[in-house]
Amino acid sequence: MPNLRDIKRRIRSVKNTQQITKAMKLVAASKLRKAQQAILVARPYAIKIMQVLNHLVARCNLDLHPLLENREGSRVLYLVITSDKGLCGGFNGSVLKRAMREVEESRGKEISFVIAGKKGRDFFRVRPQKILHEYLDWTRDFDYMKADEIADLLAGMFAEKTVDRVYVVYNEFKSVMQQDVVVEQLLPVVPEETGIGREEGHVVDYIYEPDEETILEDLIKRYMTVQVYRAFLESSASEHGARMTAMDSATRNAGEMIGGLSLTYNKARQAYITKELIEIVNGAEALKG
Amino acid sequence: MAEQLLELSLVTPGRELVADKVDQVNIPGAEGDIGILYDHAPLITTLRPGPLSYQKGNETVELVVSGGYAEVTDNRVTILAETAEFAHEVDRERAEAARQQAEKVLAKADLSEEEFKEAQLKLFRAIARLEHTEPK
Repeated sequence: MPNLRDIKRRIRSVKNTQQITKAMKLVAASKLRKAQQAILVARPYAIKIMQVLNHLVARCNLDLHPLLENREGSRVLYLVITSDKGLCGGFNGSVLKRAMREVEESRGKEISFVIAGKKGRDFFRVRPQKILHEYLDWTRDFDYMKADEIADLLAGMFAEKTVDRVYVVYNEFKSVMQQDVVVEQLLPVVPEETGIGREEGHVVDYIYEPDEETILEDLIKRYMTVQVYRAFLESSASEHGARMTAMDSATRNAGEMIGGLSLTYNKARQAYITKELIEIVNGAEALKG
Repeated sequence: MAEQLLELSLVTPGRELVADKVDQVNIPGAEGDIGILYDHAPLITTLRPGPLSYQKGNETVELVVSGGYAEVTDNRVTILAETAEFAHEVDRERAEAARQQAEKVLAKADLSEEEFKEAQLKLFRAIARLEHTEPK
C-alpha cells in the first residue's frame, strides 16, 4: 500500500509546479498582447514601404542596385530566429528542425548560418555548422535599431559576395495556438509582382529627388531592415503564444495529476481507517470472549 | 467642384500617425521643402530631418520628422518617416541632450567618416526637433 505521507508530498510538489506554470502562462499572455500590438503598429509601415519599392522597381532598371542582383551561386546563408528561453513547447524545435532540413536537402550548396537566440546557439553547439554570427539575448531589448544592425550585416555579406542568397527561418504568428515555420528569401530583394504600372501600361515616371540611385539605395536598405524587423516581431509573438499554450496544457496536466493522486490518497486513507476499525473491533471481540 | 483632397498617410516603423484626407502637405525634401497640392506629378524624394505640416480645411497640423521618404502618386501621399512626432509631443530636453552629445562627438578630431556622418545626422535631428517646436 502506498505510504500516505509520500502521496501527500507528491501532491504538494505537483501543486507547486502547477502554480509556476500558471504564473508563466499569465506572464506569457500579457507579453503576447504587447508583441501582437507591436506587429500591428509595424504592419502599415511594412506594407507601405513594399508598395513604394514595388512602384519604384517597376519603373527602373534592376541592375541598378547590388542587392537586387540575382546571381548564380551556391553559398546560402540562413538567418535562424529562435528564442532565448525554453519552456515554449515545440517552438524552437520546429524552427531548428526546418533549418536542418534545409541543410540536408541542399547538397552541394555551401550553407552558413546567422543565429539569433540562445536556444539556437545551444542547438548548433553539438551540430557543427558554419556559424557566421550570433545574436544572443535579443528577446530582451529588441527594437528597430537592432533590426537595422542585423540587416546591415546581412546586406554587407551579400554585397561583398561572400554569400549569394539569404533566407530567414522563423515562426510566423498565425494565432495563439498556431505558429508556422516559414522560410523567406531576404536577398536578393525580389519585389512582388503587383502589376502596378507595368501591366496597366501607364508607367508614369517619377520626379526623383535627389536621384533614382540614391533613393533606391536608401529604400532597399530600409526595406531589408523592415523585413528583418517584422520577422523578429513575428517570432517574438509566436514564442509567447507557444509558451502560453505549452504552459496552459502543463497546468491542465498538473491538475489531472493532482486529481489522480488525491484519489489514491483518499483510497489509501480509507483503507487505513477501515483496517484500524477492524483491529479495534477484533480487539473488543477478543476481550468479550 | 468635387472635393480635391490628397490622401495622406504618415507611418513610422513604430506607429501610424496620420491617415487622413487633406488639402495640402508640406514636406522637408532632401533638396528643399516641397508643397504638395492636388494633382501633383508623381514624385519620390528622401526627407531631411525637419518640419512637416499638412493643412486640412483651416487647420494646420505640424510635425517633426527625421529622415525617410515621401512618395506621391495619384493624389496619394505616402510618408515613410524614420521617426515622426507631432510638434506638441517633442521632448525638448531629450533633443537638447542629444544635440550636446552630438556636438561633443563632432568636436573630436579623429572621427572616421562614418562616425562623423552618424553624429552629424544626430545633430541635424536634434536641431530639427528644437527649431520647430516651442519651448514649454
